[in-house]
Amino acid sequence: MAGEALIAILILLPVATALAGLAVKNEQLRRPLIILPCAVLIAASLLLTFQVAAHGPLTLTPAASWDTIILVLELVLLAYFVYVGVVRKHVLVLGLGALQLVLFTLLKFVWLPSGFKVQPALYIDLLAVVMCLVISVVGALIVIYGLNYMQNHERHLKLSATRQHIFFFFLVGFLGAMNGVVFANSLLWLFFFWELTTLCCYHLIRHDLTEEAEQSALRALWMNLFGGVALLTGMALTYQASGTLSLLDITGLGAVGSVLLLPLALFCLAGFTKAAQVPFQRWLLGAMVAPTPVSALLHSSTMVKAGVYLVLRLAPAYEGTYLTAVLAVFGAFVFMVTSLLAISQRISKRVLAYSTISSLGLVICLAGINTGLAIAAAVALIIFHAVTKGLLFLVVGIVEQDIHSRDIEDMEGLTTRLPLVSGLAILGMIVILFVPFGVLFTKWAGLQAAATPFSDLYPLVVVFLAVGSAAGVVFWVRWIGRLISVVSPAEGTSAESRPEPRLSGSYLVVFSLLAGAVVLSALAAPLVSGLINPTVVAMGYSPALDTTGWHLATPYGFFSPWALFVVIALALVLPALLVKIRPEEVRPVYLCGENQPAAGPTFRSIADQPVPAQTGGIYWTEAFGEKSLNAWVNGAGIVLLAALIAGVIV
Amino acid sequence: MSGFDWLIGLAALVLAPLVGGFLRGVDRKLTARMQGRIGPPVWQQFYDFFKLVGKTRAVTTKGALVWIWGYLLLTMLAVFMLFARQDLLIIFFILAFAGACLVFGAFSVRSPYSQIGGHREIMQMLSYEPILLLAAVAIFLQTGTFKVSGIFEHGEPLLLTLPLVFVAVLIALTIKLRKSPFDISASEHAHQELVRGVYTEYSGRHLALIELTHWYELVLILAFVALFWAQPLWIGVLLALAVYFLELIVDNVEARLQWGWMLSISWAAGVGFILVNILMIELLFGNVLRL
Repeated sequence: MAGEALIAILILLPVATALAGLAVKNEQLRRPLIILPCAVLIAASLLLTFQVAAHGPLTLTPAASWDTIILVLELVLLAYFVYVGVVRKHVLVLGLGALQLVLFTLLKFVWLPSGFKVQPALYIDLLAVVMCLVISVVGALIVIYGLNYMQNHERHLKLSATRQHIFFFFLVGFLGAMNGVVFANSLLWLFFFWELTTLCCYHLIRHDLTEEAEQSALRALWMNLFGGVALLTGMALTYQASGTLSLLDITGLGAVGSVLLLPLALFCLAGFTKAAQVPFQRWLLGAMVAPTPVSALLHSSTMVKAGVYLVLRLAPAYEGTYLTAVLAVFGAFVFMVTSLLAISQRISKRVLAYSTISSLGLVICLAGINTGLAIAAAVALIIFHAVTKGLLFLVVGIVEQDIHSRDIEDMEGLTTRLPLVSGLAILGMIVILFVPFGVLFTKWAGLQAAATPFSDLYPLVVVFLAVGSAAGVVFWVRWIGRLISVVSPAEGTSAESRPEPRLSGSYLVVFSLLAGAVVLSALAAPLVSGLINPTVVAMGYSPALDTTGWHLATPYGFFSPWALFVVIALALVLPALLVKIRPEEVRPVYLCGENQPAAGPTFRSIADQPVPAQTGGIYWTEAFGEKSLNAWVNGAGIVLLAALIAGVIV
Repeated sequence: MSGFDWLIGLAALVLAPLVGGFLRGVDRKLTARMQGRIGPPVWQQFYDFFKLVGKTRAVTTKGALVWIWGYLLLTMLAVFMLFARQDLLIIFFILAFAGACLVFGAFSVRSPYSQIGGHREIMQMLSYEPILLLAAVAIFLQTGTFKVSGIFEHGEPLLLTLPLVFVAVLIALTIKLRKSPFDISASEHAHQELVRGVYTEYSGRHLALIELTHWYELVLILAFVALFWAQPLWIGVLLALAVYFLELIVDNVEARLQWGWMLSISWAAGVGFILVNILMIELLFGNVLRL
């Protein structure tokens, strides 16, 4: 199929599906209407990958009428944000929305010459293809999962009239907007799709229309409008300095003159708002009020990924400048502090949110390190993070709809209550945390890249990375620990046994994401040689990973994913299969007094009274809580951002 | 990986328990002497091991047993990879997985004592992990590779240029060995507030498995210490033994710290020392490899 047709499908099909879905309120009809285009989307993204990998980058400049259409839509969109600000009486939304509208109008009609056109409008290289795969495959799977989830969700809320058609309008449309962001070469086009993602995000967060949802949505909106203002200002300055608004020109200029550094810093700032980096993390934390498919989508394949994509896309432009050194420190700092903050969280979705921000911080840090190895690790992390984080959110969604809680403490001993779901959750967390899986491969490569003295600040970066990755161990291991903490069979069963939720398409989606994460991890070497190394080369870096024998070798280290995979799988699976215990060998646990198995997990205590034995997770809130750390974290984040902007001006 | 590396790695898997068990016996003997007791014979650990293996099984949950096997097998994998001179970062990552398996074992039954021990054990991991990773980075700055083989190809002893990293590693190793003042996840004696922490719910042959894993861990740790004087290696071995003796003295004179203290010491002193050492080699010696 021609490349142009694929591009059109990947952007327009989600939009068309979203529009068609708006008219359909019947759940039975909606299924095929959404599942079929999702399948097409996945197929198209795969075809596009083969096309670009085989024949090189694609370019496309649609007819001039499209520029007009986009301009009109853009103005409507910007005006709509102002309208939201007025209606919701939100000063920040109103102010930033109006500022965006004014800046855009000035840029389009005053500063740019009339008929200004960027050639090509769309440019699809391998980095765009990697993003498109993440968006289209993981995103489509999440949308399919959403079908079942939203049915249960609305049944639980007992709504009089369904609002699912609105939900799916924005959810599916989001995928088209994201593909637009990563395909765009013209910054004008990129800005349009960028604002569309802000719009989708706003409406998805406020979907349940509760007070909390409205507040969170407005917060997400104003923070992202702030990013939009930064992006627009950057565009105006770029045009003024270099007379171009083409990403190809900006990244192809080689070492840019200092005139372009300020706009680049502003683009990165816009990326930070999208990627919810400190001090903008609050919008992503608040976004968890939305139904779980939204969280899964925002965290794994869309929205936040647009932020890191922009930073990574521009990496060749700021290579070797002051900007790149500060980016590395900033990213590593965010990676560390958000991992530490996650230690104190007992709400599952908040743990996941902090861990997302942390991973994105690592991507930004790697972009800042800006060597072939670092960029390869960043691309790999984007892929692996999308799959694993999508998986974990979807699992938490299933758990939440069953136990009606997001609190990790309520998940104690979940392995006896929901064996299948908790098994999936535990495997997902192991995949995200431990060797030999993909996320850890990126940390391995990242630490090596950080240790090759890329700037004078590298000792700081490695310290942040080392502490941050140790902090990750704490909150994941504790969470797994809560899930597997069960009552010894010798003490009777305390937990009510309940039927596992009915197997549904949701499970299929979770299974396929888990299988994808495991297979991609074991086959990390072919993934690197087939997709990641070519991407790095296409961005102008030398490939740093050697994949002979399907091992991964850097000039400084060696890692064989498949060999370790086999050995570690044997070390854990063999005992699980071979260890057998006989009922008469089972004993109650040691408690501070005689066990009383007849009464459940209870022991005889003072005055011979039975006392139930209880356990709970420790969250170290005084040391790592938001109350103790937030002021420092946000303060340091703001200082680093100020250093970023001030440093490029001076 | 050459045939020679395979051979050394496999030999280490066979010999490590013998060396580790013997060293633990020496530990008990010396500790007894420091406390004015005669102490058990140095082979007592092995007698204990076989006695434990022969005991009737008593278990709480299946999960606890499965994870403890993972703890043993993954630690063995780490030992193999260190002696086969593989990538240090990967070795530490495997060691972290092994350590997590011990925690999962403690977490897999609702026992208050083992749960508290498990939580404290992850605090210990939070304390020593950054030091180990940063030590690998500091070694890389000298040898230009994360592979253990590179340390042997590097002419000079690492101790001469990385003295502060060495001190930081000692702090991390005391935590990893769960010796006082860092025996916070499993107290040495069962008649205290923690009972036996992470080990509380293990007995008989499963406790023997844990003991066996500790022998492997001990050899792994001392081997890492020896790498600081890898040429000639016999000085490194003496260095490791001296460090072990020092750990025994510290173990005997120190009381158990709270986790907050442990974290402050390991991060402030441990990470701080490594940072200062990296700056030292940058500024004083000026011999960091520019790649």
